[in-house]
This record gives sequence, structure tokens and C-alpha cells, in this order.
Amino acid sequence: MGSRGGALLWRAAPAAALVCGIGLLPWLSHTDPALTVLKARSADRDPDPEALAAVRTRLGLEEGPSVLLGRWLGGLWHGDAGRSWISGTEVAPAVGQALGASLLLMAVSLVVACCTAAAVCARTLHLGARRRLHGRIPGGSLSAVLAALPEFLTASVLATVVGVRLGWLPALGWYGPQWTVLPALALGLPAGAVLGRLLDDRLPAAFAEPWASAATARGLPGRNIARQALRRCVPGLLPNLGLFAVGLTGGAVAVEQIFDIPGLGRTTLQAALAQDLPVLQAAALALVALAAVTTAAARLAVGRLVGTALRDGALHTLHRPLHTLHGRPSTVRRILPLAYGILLLGVIAAGFPRDPLALDTTTRLRPPSTTHPFGTDALGRDMLARVAHGALDTLLLALAVSALALVAGVLLGLLPRLSGPLVDTVNAVPPVLAALLVTALWRGGGATPVVAVAVVAWVPLAAHTSALLRQERATLHLAATRALGAGRWYLLRRGILPAVLPPVVRHGLLRLPGVALALASLGFLGLGAQPPSPEWGLLLAENQPYAERAPWAVLAPAAVLALLGALAVTATGRAGARVGGAR
Amino acid sequence: MHPPRPPRRPRLLTAFLLAPLLTGCFAATGDAGAAAGGKDAARLRVALAFPPAENLSPYGADATILSRLGVTEGLTALDANGAAVPALASSWRREDDRTWRFTLREAVFQDGTEVTPAAVVTALTRAGRAAPAPAALSGVTLTARAQGATGVRITTTDPDPVLPLRLTSPSLAVLAPKAYGGKGAVDPVGTATGPFTLTAVTGTTSAALDRFDDYWGGRAQASGIDARFIADGTARANALRTGQIDLAEAIPVSQAAALDAGSRRETATTRTTSLLLNTESGTFKDAALRAAARAAVDTGALAEGVYEGHADPGAGIYGPAVTWAGGKRLTPTGRAKAKKPDGAPVTLATYDNRPELPEAAQVLKQQLEKAGFTVQLEVREYSRLESDALAGKFDAFVGARNSLLDTGDPVSLLASDFTCDGGYNLALLCDKDVDRAVERARTVADTSERQDAALAAEAVILATDAVVPLVHQRVVTGVADTVGGVLLDPYERTLVGTGTRR
Repeated sequence: MGSRGGALLWRAAPAAALVCGIGLLPWLSHTDPALTVLKARSADRDPDPEALAAVRTRLGLEEGPSVLLGRWLGGLWHGDAGRSWISGTEVAPAVGQALGASLLLMAVSLVVACCTAAAVCARTLHLGARRRLHGRIPGGSLSAVLAALPEFLTASVLATVVGVRLGWLPALGWYGPQWTVLPALALGLPAGAVLGRLLDDRLPAAFAEPWASAATARGLPGRNIARQALRRCVPGLLPNLGLFAVGLTGGAVAVEQIFDIPGLGRTTLQAALAQDLPVLQAAALALVALAAVTTAAARLAVGRLVGTALRDGALHTLHRPLHTLHGRPSTVRRILPLAYGILLLGVIAAGFPRDPLALDTTTRLRPPSTTHPFGTDALGRDMLARVAHGALDTLLLALAVSALALVAGVLLGLLPRLSGPLVDTVNAVPPVLAALLVTALWRGGGATPVVAVAVVAWVPLAAHTSALLRQERATLHLAATRALGAGRWYLLRRGILPAVLPPVVRHGLLRLPGVALALASLGFLGLGAQPPSPEWGLLLAENQPYAERAPWAVLAPAAVLALLGALAVTATGRAGARVGGAR
Repeated sequence: MHPPRPPRRPRLLTAFLLAPLLTGCFAATGDAGAAAGGKDAARLRVALAFPPAENLSPYGADATILSRLGVTEGLTALDANGAAVPALASSWRREDDRTWRFTLREAVFQDGTEVTPAAVVTALTRAGRAAPAPAALSGVTLTARAQGATGVRITTTDPDPVLPLRLTSPSLAVLAPKAYGGKGAVDPVGTATGPFTLTAVTGTTSAALDRFDDYWGGRAQASGIDARFIADGTARANALRTGQIDLAEAIPVSQAAALDAGSRRETATTRTTSLLLNTESGTFKDAALRAAARAAVDTGALAEGVYEGHADPGAGIYGPAVTWAGGKRLTPTGRAKAKKPDGAPVTLATYDNRPELPEAAQVLKQQLEKAGFTVQLEVREYSRLESDALAGKFDAFVGARNSLLDTGDPVSLLASDFTCDGGYNLALLCDKDVDRAVERARTVADTSERQDAALAAEAVILATDAVVPLVHQRVVTGVADTVGGVLLDPYERTLVGTGTRR
């Protein structure tokens, strides 16, 4: 009972810390909320002392953060989430409305994501059900490319091409079902690609389990076998699906802006910039509550799908030496990452002698030509040069963040009871807010952007690790090893880590492009790469307004990011095969 | 061991459990959605760029929304030349240094009550008591008294030669007494005097307006307005291109080319983008280096290259939209002689809320580096930048600023931005000659003489090289082919009027 109470307390602690952290934000970051609120109300208003004093008195800022926070919590107890500091309207209905729109958007996006994931693993399912997987290479390049697609890019392309040019679906607004399609596609495609990739990663092993061959031998239809294989693999992903759901609800800022959706992402962004604390706190609490619900639902679903097997320790490990699945790595398998690597290096080498900073506004937005193979950007700079010179910055920073996130994710993921509540809470925090909180607490200069992104980036990896760990612990071979008297360290080193690490590492690499984009999105705080640096995330962000007129200016950085994703995925697949072969 | 279970039916994805939340999750369509179907052809569909921040309170920036949609009016209005013209007041005269007398015209509020001197007094008094005070009233205390059946006498504690100009500010709009009835916020719904009356406001997403048939200036041609607030510039342009909207405010430069030439209307605005140099510390403390920076800047390249011709090269603090400034401008004299920068370090700060500014800053960086400076850029969101900029942490700052501020008075900008006591002195300029010239302009009452004095002060300020005017932006309004009579206004205070129709 005591441990249960402790667990409950630990579950509530991160949420409480978050609300308190938001309450203290302006005082921690030394940014006067009176000033930010005044500016949010009227950008042109001069911050004269009288106006600031008036705002301060109105909001009761002199009383200090603890009194304000106490009063807000007291009101919350009675169901009153306070009034917005900017508009003076009640927070609860406004946040509720935004949450409704965001939840709907998220739900439709999840449908799209599930369809995408299904499409990604359709081939494996089809072949696996007919026991023809042997010797096939898993795909991966296409889904890695999809996963690397920045949401805002898909969103702008869909809005201009499908919405404006073709006029098939409304390009903006949020008035009925047909309005949900384009935004959901923009959000669901990359999310579905990641999920599908992770699923596809595990399916071959499930098909290789003894029951599958037994079922085939008994003449069960392939459809049933495929369904059972899915049931075997999906539980490992459900926690991640839940994370996506919560993340999409609070973090779809770019898509909400492009399609003009009155969602929670925009609400929190505006509140975070203006330090409108009541709104921010209410939105964060709503998201944390949503995260708790989603986690509970995911847990329930896992229990439904493989509960008995988990309890009885009757699972097989899904990590099998890969050579037993695929035979010797095929030539294509070896060539693919090499080809991607050479292509990437080729682009970098070709652009390196060019000047990425020389701007010439008379040659702006030129399409690709012999003098500018990738075209020019809005200031007439050579895109090839910018892409090539940005590679180093991007790779170093993004790799550093990914490595940090991977280490933290695996370590914390191995301690699910400790990290579970933390995962839920951190994932529920909108990225802008996380960045603001980190910069307020951490004044580390150059390392700040890395920390600000890593602090959220570890979450999906930890969730993935935990889910795999839970299944792996229930495997027969671990039970046998345990019965033979193996210690915990031995089990961890020899049994668990080899099974958990490779998929999580591949997952981490799959998210590398996302990390680069997240780094660029910190620019508004003056963090990370500053213009005119050709960092890839920044390239995408600065060329976004010209996506329709000069598609090459966004396609070039998007393409190299996608190439990087494909390289990472195929290369690790290959490395995994080699390790597997050596065992 | 458990007995083998009968095979369970596969449970379909639990994630879909969240889908039933469908109803009620869409934006309230209100009239905006209904009108999109085209039921009432004479209603105008307008996309505004700035969502109401304070529930359409008339005392902040939202006042501009109300005045652009033709909802509110003040006693006076600004004409194209920047002079005060009659609105709710038909005439006025100055009785002494501190007192002005306004004569009201016959008009009715949208709730049916008459516009009386008492109502005007209530409106002005409430504006004076607002916290924070409206920008147009900052540093001014005024007392209004009713005088007979049509007169209002306004007294200020200090002599205020520009009171009629001040009263043109949208935040000093006159609303019916009913609007001030509630305890907290002022309610502009159905209580103003303009040609259109607000009927419904849906949060920060949309607002519906109907024609006000008893408007003193005649019935408006459009039967109503469906206004949508779309913050994203690309989204506004898309709305116009797909025909969801008849009129889109402030199309960003990057999207202007996507519109047909016929639906792009350009208006010169009073907004000037300038390079402000920190005169208090760092590299630009040296006037000779400031002169070198000014000489290095090529404003034509900015206007053409960054603003794609939707801007005029910097002429002075006041741009071509300030029509009276053009002919009377003085050439600055006594400027310092430029010297070689020899790699002097410069931190150039700007904000990304206006997408053109980071681009302009990058072009400037190249121009300054060509002249011999070593430049580092600092780009942030505006509210994260301002305090550091005001504290002089950067050597140079690129920003856009409305040169006539809230009052339409040319001198108030000079006082707040370039004098020792100025509240928004980003150049940290403190120069005796400048202070003297601004002070002289401040005391002049006659409109034309005041303009001359302002231009004289402008020349003194430009001579210090603390500010280098870069471009004067033109705002692009997207107007559908079928729409006529749009009020394009350099002061950005009007948009829809009685003659606007489709």
C-alpha cells in the first residue's frame, strides 16, 4: 500500500513541478511579464513606466509568484482556472475550446498515421503471412524519407497545391469534416512513418516465432497469422502512439497556423511568448491530464493484447539474430546505405567550394540552373553552397542532441517506474514551453539549445525502451537464464540490452531530422543557429514563406534531411545485420 | 498453467476511442461560415491580420480593428494629409491654451440613443481612467465637460496644441453609456456610432457585423461584414485566392507575387524601417563610424531586393505616406566625416515577427561588412529583444516603427525616440541640439508650422547619424475583383466604409 501511495505521489510530482515551474517562469527567466503582456496586447505600444505599472497592478504582479500561484491553485480547486492576463477573459472555456479543436485534429491525424503505418508495413505483413520473408530486405528508405518530412512543409504544399491550386479541399479554416483532411495529412504522414518503421522493425521476428510456422503448417489463413503477428508487435508501440497523440495535441503549432485552426498549440505559443501564466498553466494541466489518460489507455490496451503472456512470462524475444531471419545480408542491403552516403557526401563536396553567405538580391529566387544547381534563396544565395556548408553544423548539433537523448532515454527507459510519470509530463509540455523553461533554468551559453531540445527528445526513446523492456522481461529465455542463477547485471547486459538497444538506436536515428528542425525552432529565443548561418533547420524555416514561389529553396534542405534519415535507417539496419551475423 | 483460451476477437485500435469527441470541436462557424455559402451576396468577407488581444477593448490595439471595420468613431478623424477633420464633432475651436470646445453633430448610437455631450464626456472620462491609459493619452490629463445641448469643452492640465489630432485616435472612440455599464471591460457590441455594428464576436477567430441603418453619414452599401482574424499571412493570401474572403489585410511581401496584379492594392504607410545606432556605447559611440555605416547602407537594394519593390527607399524619418513632408524636407548639415571602420565589431539586432526584417538585416550585414565592419546578427522574437535593445546591449538595431504613432502628431515620435528623456530611445541618443529642436516643435500649435518644426528637428536628428532610415514600407491589401470602395489609408485606421461593396 505504501509503495502504491509513493507511486501515486511520484506520478503527481512532475505535474505539480510543471505548474509551479510555469508560475515561476518570468521570475526565473528575468523577463518582466508586465512588458510581455503589454506587448502582446499592443505591439506598437511604448513600454513607458506608467503603462507597465498599470499592468503590474492590474495583474497583481507585485505580490510575487508564490501568492499568484497560490491564488490560482485555490481558484482551480473551485473549478476556476483564472482569467487570461492578456484579454481578461476566463481561461477555462477558451482553453477547453482550443483543446477540443486540437483533440479532433489529433484524432484524425492518428487515423492518417495508422493508415500510413499500415502502408509502411504492408509488404512485410503480406510476405510474412505467406512465409516468404526469408532473405528479403526490409524496406525503410521511403518511410525514413516520410518521417523526415517537416510538418510545415507538407502543410504548405498541401494547402497551396490541393487547397488553392486544385481547390479540392478547403485550404484553411476549421468548420467541418472536410476541413480536417489536409491538416491531418500533414501531421499524420510523418508520425505514421515513424510508427510504421518501428513496427516494421519488429514484425519479421514475430513471423519467425515458432507459433507462426506451426500455424502455417496447420493451414491457418495468412490473414490470421498476420493479425496475430501484429498483435504481438503492437504492444511495444502503443506507448509511443500515446506519446504521439499527446504531442500532436499540444505541439501542432505550424500546422495550426498554416490552416488557421484555433487549436491548443497556437494558444500555448502565444501564451508562452506573452507569459500569460494562467492560460499557460491551464493548458499545461489539460495536456498533462490528457497524457495520464492516454498512458492509462495504452496500458489497458497492452494488457488486453498480451497481458496474460506478460504476466506468465511466456513471450519469445523479438530480438533474434538477424541472420536467421534474412540470411546473409544481400547486396542491395549493403549498397543502399553506401549509395545514400555517397550521394550526401557528393552534395556536400560539390557545394563546399561555393560561398554560402555571398548574397546578391538581384538574383533572388532563381530556379536551378547550371550556375546555381539548387537554385537561389530569397536573398540570392546559392542553395547548394548553403546546404553543403550547413551540413557540419547540423550534423554535429543534431547528433549531439540525439546521442544525449539516446543515452538518457535508454537509461531512464530501463527504470520505467521512475521515468513513466516523467515521460508523460515532459511529453505533454509543448516544445516552446519546454524551451522557455530550460532557458530560464539553464544559462549555459552554447550548450543551451542542445539541452533545450534533448530535454524533450529523450521521451519517445525512453517510452520505447520501457515498452520493449516490459516484453523482454517476460520472455522465456530470460526466465531460463534467471533460473540458471544469472544475476541482474548479467541479465541486463546479456539478455535485455542486446534486445532493446538496436531498435531504440534505430528509432533515435529516425528522429534525427526532427531534432534538427526542433533546434531551428528555438531561434525565436535567440538560441541555436542565427541567420545567416546555413544550418538546415534554419534554411527550412527561412525559406518557408517562399515554398510556393521557390519550391527548390525548401526542397533542397528537406531532401538532404530526408537523405540523412534514409542513410541513418539503412545503415543501422546493416550494422544490426552484421552484429547479428557475428553472434 | 492456464487452460488455453479461446482465440479472442482482435480489438480494433484503441486509439480510435478518442474520435467520438468529434462534435463541438470545430470552430464556431457563426456567420462567417454561413456567409461562405454565399447566401447574402452583399455581405463583405474580410480577413484581418491581428486577432483581438483584449476582447475588442477600445483602449488598446484592438481599437484599430474597430475603427478599420467601421464600427467606432471619435470626435475627429485623420484625413489623407494628416490633418484632423470632423467626425462626431462637426467643428471645434481653441478657447485658450488649455481649453478646446467641440460642437457635436446630430448622430445616434447603434443602441438607438442620441449622441449627447454627456455621453461624450462619459466616454472620454472612462478612456482617461483606463489602466494602462490609451497610448494617445499617455502623459496627458484631460477633463471633459458638457456645454449646452451640443458642446463639449475639453481642458488639459498642460497646453496641448494637438488635441484635435489626439482625439482622432481609435482608442478615444465614443461609445454609448450602455457600453460602460458593466463593471469590467467596455463593451463595443452594438454601442458605437459607425456605419457597421458588431453583432457577435467569437473569441479571437471571427466577428459578425451588420449595417447600421441610422448612421449619420448615410447608409452603408454592404449589408454587413463577416470578419475573420487570420494571423498567418500566407493563410490570408490563400483565403483570398480561394475566394473565401473578399478583402485581406496586410499581405506579406513573400505572398504578394502569388496574387493577381489586379487584386493587389498598395498603400504607402507611415511605417519606417530604420537602422538605429547605439550612440551611448560600443562601436557607434564614434560619430565618424556612424557616418561610415550610413554611407555603407544602400537603401535601394533593400527596397528592391528584400521588399520586392513594395517599399520606398528611406528618405527620412517620415516617408512618402506623410504627404506634407515631401516638399519641405531639409538636408541635414554638420554631419561627421566618415572614417575607416577597420573591422570594428558590430552586433546587429532585429526581430523575426516581421519576416522581412531578418532578411533586411542580413543584407545590411553584407553591406556593412563590405565597408569594413565585422557584423554579428542577433535575431529574436520581439518581446525577448526589446528590453536588451533599450538597455543598449546591441550596437545597432533594425526595426519598423510607425512614424506618426497613435496621435497622428509628427512630434511625439521624435520626443519618445530621440530625446534624452524619450521612452523608446533605442539609439540611446542624448544630444542637446536634438532636444532643443524637438522641444521647439512641441510648442508650435499651428499645423503647418508644427510640421515645419518637426522637419527641422528631423534634420537635426539625421545629422547625428543615430538613425539611418532604410525603407518606407507599403502595405499590400488583397482585394477581390468584385469589391470596390475599399478605404486604403496610410494611417491604417480605416478599411471598410459606407461606400465599400461587392
